Amino acid sequence: MVTRFEHAYVLDVMSDDHPGIVAAVSRAIEQLGGNIDACSQTVLSGYFTLIMIVSFPEPIEPDTLAQTVSKADTTGRGYQVLVRRALPPECFVSKPECDRFVITAFGKDQPGIVRRFSEYLAGKDINIVDLYGDHSGGDFVLIGQLEVPKHWDIRMLQADLEQMGQELGFTVKLQHENVFVATNQLRLYGSSTAGHPSHASHR
Amino acid sequence: MLRTDEILSTIEMLHAEHLDVRAVTLALNVDDCAAPSVDLLCRKLRNKILSRASRLVEVCDRVGAKYGIPVINKRLAISPVATLLAGHGHAAAVQVAKTLDAVGSECGVDFVGGFTALVHKGITPADAVVMNSLPEVLSQTERVCSSVNVASRHAGINMDAIHQMGHIIVRIAEATADRFGFGCAKLVVFANIPEDNPFMAGAYMGPGEPEAAINIGVSGPGVVSSALKRRLSLEKNLTLGDLAEEIKITSFRVTRVGELIGREVAAELGVAFGIVDLSLAPTPTVGDSVGEILKTLGISKIGAPGSTAAVAMLNDAVKKGGLFASSSVGGLSGAFIPVCEDAALAEAVAAGHLVLEKLEAMTSVCSVGLDMILVPGDTPPETIAALIADEMAIGVINNKTTAARLIPVPGAKAGDYVQFGGLFGAAPVIAVRNSGASDQFVHFGGRIPAPLQSLGN
Repeated sequence: MVTRFEHAYVLDVMSDDHPGIVAAVSRAIEQLGGNIDACSQTVLSGYFTLIMIVSFPEPIEPDTLAQTVSKADTTGRGYQVLVRRALPPECFVSKPECDRFVITAFGKDQPGIVRRFSEYLAGKDINIVDLYGDHSGGDFVLIGQLEVPKHWDIRMLQADLEQMGQELGFTVKLQHENVFVATNQLRLYGSSTAGHPSHASHR
Repeated sequence: MLRTDEILSTIEMLHAEHLDVRAVTLALNVDDCAAPSVDLLCRKLRNKILSRASRLVEVCDRVGAKYGIPVINKRLAISPVATLLAGHGHAAAVQVAKTLDAVGSECGVDFVGGFTALVHKGITPADAVVMNSLPEVLSQTERVCSSVNVASRHAGINMDAIHQMGHIIVRIAEATADRFGFGCAKLVVFANIPEDNPFMAGAYMGPGEPEAAINIGVSGPGVVSSALKRRLSLEKNLTLGDLAEEIKITSFRVTRVGELIGREVAAELGVAFGIVDLSLAPTPTVGDSVGEILKTLGISKIGAPGSTAAVAMLNDAVKKGGLFASSSVGGLSGAFIPVCEDAALAEAVAAGHLVLEKLEAMTSVCSVGLDMILVPGDTPPETIAALIADEMAIGVINNKTTAARLIPVPGAKAGDYVQFGGLFGAAPVIAVRNSGASDQFVHFGGRIPAPLQSLGN
């Protein structure tokens, strides 16, 4: 992780979705003399969440930063803000060599679906780097982009997941991400992790 | 990072529309297996094929599973067996064919192509051995496939070879009369045969190719048909231009999948990656049909006026999408219209909508020719030769590959229904009009000279 200034923080903002959130948050950081080093946002069912890596030339109390960003909301609807100091890179566990796979599961919604699949993946030390789940045409659709350690036999993982899917009434597939790259994108496949570095903190 | 809608659209292609890789063909040069003794020749052939191909099926299955894309057919194609058989006779040809059959079975492949002779300008003694052994070879082996190139843009059309092939095809049909002449389904007569075609029965490894290569045939017409139907269900007022665009996009996607799998299989086997063949190859499975695409494009009776234009548009759009997707496009790369193997085409022949002459017209704008056409058992060899000559002329004049896979069904007449089963499907015997009226033309023999390369109207 490369930051503009020495003192880095992870900033998390949640709110109902409306125009102006990013502008308000970034204004607050600028006023504190900080820099936004990385950011990513998601909107789900009308709710907004933003994660940022921000850095400052001088140390700042996480609570002070959180309160300043909170107060930046001018709509009165309120932001929930969470701040923590960013860990130095050496604190992240080194991961085994991985390949990128995509798991897709379709079936009738019921409590425990995400838990069953994610527990299985966690047990195999498979990292979820992106997760999507929603209702679609009466079914629940779960899509996870995964980092699968290279030492696993993919056909064994596929058989386990398909078996679990059958028990839950779900159709489950585990496929290498390059087939999705090949069918949708103009970029060349092959360098599966190039261009989008993963972060252990996403687990 | 991939987007959710991208993942969902691929999943739909793979699972709802049954995207697959139709054929992975390992092409192998076997010229170095030549030997003065046929036993030694066969031993060298067996050892070489096993050393290169024994892992083919396992690797294809593993790579296919990794991407969630089944590889339907795994095949072998060798350099022309006529080269190997130089200096040998009929018995050696049959023994080599049986060796290929056995080693193909050991490797778990469904076909071995390359029992081939290239005779577009003339016939060597070895070529003659290959051609004359075909009735025995194709009736006594399961997996061996043969191709004979009788015409080319540069040499013209070898009418002597075509005349002989007319007689040989009848003899093959008689040798496999108990299977409705099925032996003829494993023989393709070509003009401008491609060196890198992965599709059977015409796959072989031609001159100028590397020692070994993986050539890929992409998914069938079912994917294109489903994509068109989905687009038509979502939008109104679409034009043929819009539909051509949809075909192009689908072709891009299936080609990229083909190349992805082909390159990985080649790398795992330690051989060169050859080409992706864009051909839409139908299977008898309902829906996996070029005829079905024509129906979706608004030709309610296949063979009706407009059929040729629709096939031309399909063929062109498939090429445009595929060529953007891969820089290694080769083989036949067009839409096949094999009557027996395409349920909708067979149905159109049965209903009398699709006749031989219209099929021939359609082959002038697509791949690959009069393919899997059942003709009456009493069709004279000269008429079969003349049918081949017509198809070869389309290829030679238009600078494209054309082919004929004609099956005279012993004892059958026009309208009789024949069921081969499996990939080879079923179809009615088609009427050949003016049968017997081309004898003198064929008997002239010689070579129809190579055509002009300019003034191409």
